[in-house]
Amino acid sequence: MKLALTELRRRPGRFSAAAVILTLIAILLMFLGGLLDGLIASSTGAIRAQDADAIVYSDTAQASFVRSRIEPQTRAAVEAVPGVTEVGGIGNVQLGARIPGKGPRDLAGVALFGYEIAPTGVPDAPPAGQAWADDVLEADGVEVGMIIEVGPARTPIEIAGFVNDTTFNGQASLWASPDTWREVLSANRPDAQLGPDVWQALVVRGDGADLPALIDAATGGATTSFTVDDAINETPGIQEQTSTFNQIIGVTIAIALVVIGLFFALLTVERTSLYGVLKALGAKSSTIFAGLVAQAVVLTAIASLIAGTLVVLLQLLLPPGSIPLLITPGRIILSTVLLLVAAVLGCSFSLRRVLRVDPASAIGTTS
Amino acid sequence: MFLAFKEMARAKVRFALLIAAIALLVFLILFQQSLQNGLITGFIGAIREQSAPVLVYSVDGQRVLQGSVITPAMEEQIRAAPGTGEVGLIGQGTFTGLPSGNADGESFDTTIIGYELGPDGSGIGSPTNVIEGRLPVADDEAVVSDADVRLGYDIGDTVTLLPGGKTIEIVGIAANAQLNVAPTLFASYDTYLDAVASVNPDAGTPLPNVLGVIPADGFTPAQAVASINDQSLDLDALTRDDAAAETPGVAQVQQSFNIIFLLYGLVVPCVTGLFFLIVTFQKANSLTLLRAIGAPAGRLVSSLLIQVVVIVGAGLALGTLLYYPLSQGALGGIALDFETGAVIFWSVLLLTLGLVSSLVAARRVLAIDPIEATTGQGVGS
Repeated sequence: MKLALTELRRRPGRFSAAAVILTLIAILLMFLGGLLDGLIASSTGAIRAQDADAIVYSDTAQASFVRSRIEPQTRAAVEAVPGVTEVGGIGNVQLGARIPGKGPRDLAGVALFGYEIAPTGVPDAPPAGQAWADDVLEADGVEVGMIIEVGPARTPIEIAGFVNDTTFNGQASLWASPDTWREVLSANRPDAQLGPDVWQALVVRGDGADLPALIDAATGGATTSFTVDDAINETPGIQEQTSTFNQIIGVTIAIALVVIGLFFALLTVERTSLYGVLKALGAKSSTIFAGLVAQAVVLTAIASLIAGTLVVLLQLLLPPGSIPLLITPGRIILSTVLLLVAAVLGCSFSLRRVLRVDPASAIGTTS
Repeated sequence: MFLAFKEMARAKVRFALLIAAIALLVFLILFQQSLQNGLITGFIGAIREQSAPVLVYSVDGQRVLQGSVITPAMEEQIRAAPGTGEVGLIGQGTFTGLPSGNADGESFDTTIIGYELGPDGSGIGSPTNVIEGRLPVADDEAVVSDADVRLGYDIGDTVTLLPGGKTIEIVGIAANAQLNVAPTLFASYDTYLDAVASVNPDAGTPLPNVLGVIPADGFTPAQAVASINDQSLDLDALTRDDAAAETPGVAQVQQSFNIIFLLYGLVVPCVTGLFFLIVTFQKANSLTLLRAIGAPAGRLVSSLLIQVVVIVGAGLALGTLLYYPLSQGALGGIALDFETGAVIFWSVLLLTLGLVSSLVAARRVLAIDPIEATTGQGVGS
């Protein structure tokens, strides 16, 4: 193995082309993963932030806030479920927001939530006419104390402060009192307004292993309830995005495996006579193969390091609101681990050839 | 040529691995090309395939059909604008729809686009490419996008909106007319209004989301757009093509896929070039010997290039074969199509890039000095 690492150090040029290809593949993997993470994060941040044991929608809503209606009697049934300790209504409306200082046609998309139970990182509801804003709005020039106008009715909303990681459907969220939300909804989207005490969904806290199922049973099937994680997965489009991206990532890893296998198979062919000499000197096949694996692992680790740096730089360079790329340490580590596994498996293509090297072939060889 | 094929026959595993790598890359590129086109068609096909040459949004709508609301004051401004000919109301909403043709009783997010019906069902905002059946001529009838037929939205089927239970009968099928990658129904404007009221009894009467405009005689769509936008800063008129292209999300999808295509496109020539460079190094001594016994350099280079063409060609063929069955189906709600143009484009590009990348190996071959056969050194030294 020491010999293999020495070769890597002394003849880096021999491995540079393979390193470039592996770096490109690692960038692809991290970019695809980052794109998936970015899409999910920007679509579901507001749901992920819910500090809840269940999120309750009406049964035909397909986990969509705007298509869900929870009547007061349904809420009462949920509150009566054994183990339920707290129930709060939640609803949203997506509108354009006019920001002072920006052009008359330059609006920011916002999702204004009305809530009774504060999500994680969001304070209790501010006074009427105010809202907590997701900090992505800072990129649009929004500041604390600023009054923005939302919707065609230009309902004024004063920014009370900023919260983090609560975007919804790719839009910045605003968190307001129930009354403010209802006022904005009625003024701007009369076709979506709801009656008094009717909510789009409920946020439920409580005990019990299967609270969502208990709630749905108690409401006689009038609701469809999810844990927070399930609510994220059930959000329209999320499962399709995740499975599509994961399939593409899977095939890309298969390509990495084949490329690594191909490269080291070629190297092994080139070194057959050298391996014969090594075997004649007493080296075991396992030692030689371990050297190959070590080279593949080091090469992949270097490629992943370069790729990780480049995708982080790409994320920093992308203007806000363009590609929804979210590069996390977890994604970089996962991609690196997957590539390392592919590297080890790819090397196994060469194992048979290494085992077949005959020490006697060393006699008479010159290179 | 004889040499090229003999060598490939004797090192099957090596060349097969390279073909497999190229095939997988080609498959992924073509699949993602279909995915991109399918996604964009599913996302904004209904805008591209409707009849209004000009669509007028409210600025607040940010070019999202459902997000836009046209107030009566805005409508007056639009009708009064020079260049405005005929005007039609268009409404759009997303509902939970239960199609009678779905054997599993599954319900789906269902988009309804309501437009004002003319006597024969056509109107401003009607689908332009009905491939089967007819346009709706009465309330509670609809044309559906062809991508949705497999979900149980076929001619003669009914769609029940939940909750409320309002039913709409499907009477026609239009090509590539989805919106928001969901089953999409084109129905009368009143059907749309009834649908909103049926699912939400608290709802007020919705205002139209956009107005479809046919420019007056002597005005082009672009002139009508400019004229309408001059009326008010709250109006956002767009030609049909611009409305489709500038729907939020479309540009991001294209940008993301372009980066992905660039990276995959780079990997193919890199892998091909590296492979043939290493192989050339490995057979340096044999190549030197061949040169020494009189083989012209051109023949050796052409042998190399033939191998590149055969290998990349085989990878392209295999990748396309893998892609074909996948392109006949759908992924989630996205209908995929076999993109012949993409196959030709990528085949030419990847073959060219593969040949270009192998020029490094070809240069090495040309640099062989036959005299080195007497010293035992080849191009690899």
